Amino acid sequence: MAMVKEPLLFARLPLNARRVLFGLVLFAICFLFAFPVLWLILTSLRPESGVYYVHRGTEFTLGNFIDVFQDDRVIEAFANSALIATLATFFSLLVTVSSGYMLSRFQGPASRTWFGTIYVFRCVPYISWVLPLYFVAQSWGLYDTYLGLLLPHIAVHICFFSWLMKGFFDGIDPSMEHAALIDGCTRWGAFLRVALPSAIPAIAALGVLCWLFTWNEFLFALILTGNKVPMITVVMAQFVTEMGLRWNLMAATAVLALVPAFLLALFGQKYVIRGLRI
Amino acid sequence: MAGGGRPLFGEQTRFMLLLITPAALLLTLFQVVPIAIGANASFRDWALYNPKKTWVGLAHYQAVLSDPEFLWVVLPNTFIFMILSVAGALVLGLALALLLNRPFAGQKLVQTVLLVPLMVAPVIAAIMMRWMFNDQFGIVNAVLEGLGLDGQPWLVERWTAFGVIVMTDIWLWTPWYTLLLLAGLQSLPREPFEAAAIDGTSPWRVFTHLTLPMLRSVIVVCVVIRAIDAFRTFDIVWTLTGGGPGRSTELFSLYAYVLAFLTLDFGRGSAAAIIGGLIILVVGAVLYRVVDRIARA
Repeated sequence: MAMVKEPLLFARLPLNARRVLFGLVLFAICFLFAFPVLWLILTSLRPESGVYYVHRGTEFTLGNFIDVFQDDRVIEAFANSALIATLATFFSLLVTVSSGYMLSRFQGPASRTWFGTIYVFRCVPYISWVLPLYFVAQSWGLYDTYLGLLLPHIAVHICFFSWLMKGFFDGIDPSMEHAALIDGCTRWGAFLRVALPSAIPAIAALGVLCWLFTWNEFLFALILTGNKVPMITVVMAQFVTEMGLRWNLMAATAVLALVPAFLLALFGQKYVIRGLRI
Repeated sequence: MAGGGRPLFGEQTRFMLLLITPAALLLTLFQVVPIAIGANASFRDWALYNPKKTWVGLAHYQAVLSDPEFLWVVLPNTFIFMILSVAGALVLGLALALLLNRPFAGQKLVQTVLLVPLMVAPVIAAIMMRWMFNDQFGIVNAVLEGLGLDGQPWLVERWTAFGVIVMTDIWLWTPWYTLLLLAGLQSLPREPFEAAAIDGTSPWRVFTHLTLPMLRSVIVVCVVIRAIDAFRTFDIVWTLTGGGPGRSTELFSLYAYVLAFLTLDFGRGSAAAIIGGLIILVVGAVLYRVVDRIARA
């Protein structure tokens, strides 16, 4: 109950002092939150000679980024990550939107069983199925191929996204679909032309999340790919060990990897906040 | 709400099944089949360099469950990590959501800044932290020394390294709570809060008696989902410490990975993964009940 005093104390301060205090607290929080990223950007701009004392010295250079762009493996990894993330987003939305729609609009044993399955598999730790997935991928000839990375990336989101999609469709009144059915629309028509358009904000939110998840994913890429399909997260993690002392190059690569995610999140933010009301 | 109970039953069933077929197929091929293979391997002598695949019964399970490393380091680490990470990020995320839920100048900008960690890959976050906490060149020690304190060899000692891992995880996941809780706060009805304001109720009482109970379901979902995810954390530990110093910061996922791909004993790695899977199933179910009950009370 000691906490009760605090807001009261705050309320007794004059309005200006309150504003200043509030502003300071806000600034401190934002600074702490953004600091690691700011520090990374600063590191990426330092020449090799100055990288160990980032906080001293004033030389800055874009040379690290030029060096990174000359590394074919990094470029390839960027292209691969972007490709897989985009395809995975498209296909996992395709699959989970319909599965979520089914969960929301139908009741009965089929729907209950499917929901139970999803719930259980959502809980299974990645490692329990990614370890053997390595064998599955090898015996089906999918190891170290695009398809072998893409399909698990689609599969991994099925449970969580179907669940979220069900929530979104639950929030959309089905009476419009009933009206469409009575007017002679088919069930597919009611789903695709009536329900789907009203779910667009939610789908956009999931799309943003899915792209970010796949772009940032590490364990699948580590286990399911070798040299033929380098992914950016794995290439970066290798930097830490192989190029352990070249922090400036690593920071530059990391900054480049942040850019697409940052842009997407910046523009997708409002959809995500609107779409995630569960 | 659901649209069942309409006519056209035969067609309806077909439609229903078609809707989930692609998802069910992918789930079967890439989760159910691997899990079955893993379960099978966990009972066999399946070294990666020499897969004899002879039946060994429960030997791998026995080996894992009697491994002091697993019992006294990996399991405690995993649970401590899970509790600290979930609790820390929940409290912080709730505070930030409450902060962002009131209008002020620059609210949009602050919101964007607070969501920054959401865009950062865990691997990148771990690399950044590793650099910032570097004992010789890291900014953290530079600041400490600037303040006249001693720098610490952060990643070389068990509990400081563990602390850095937990902190990285809290930093990474706080925006998730903020997002979900903010969305929850914005969809709350206004009337009870207006009534409380008229009655002159203290902000703390409004928070404990109105906001918290009304956010109950969102909090339950957040905690359960994040606890399950925290249990299987892999990438930040792998990049930050690699489980070191020694094997003192290994979490369960890393333990299974090391067994399977570094020790090359796929059978025992699978057994460890299945034990972990069973533990998290139980923990998830218990957690759901406990959190739900606490929230209800």
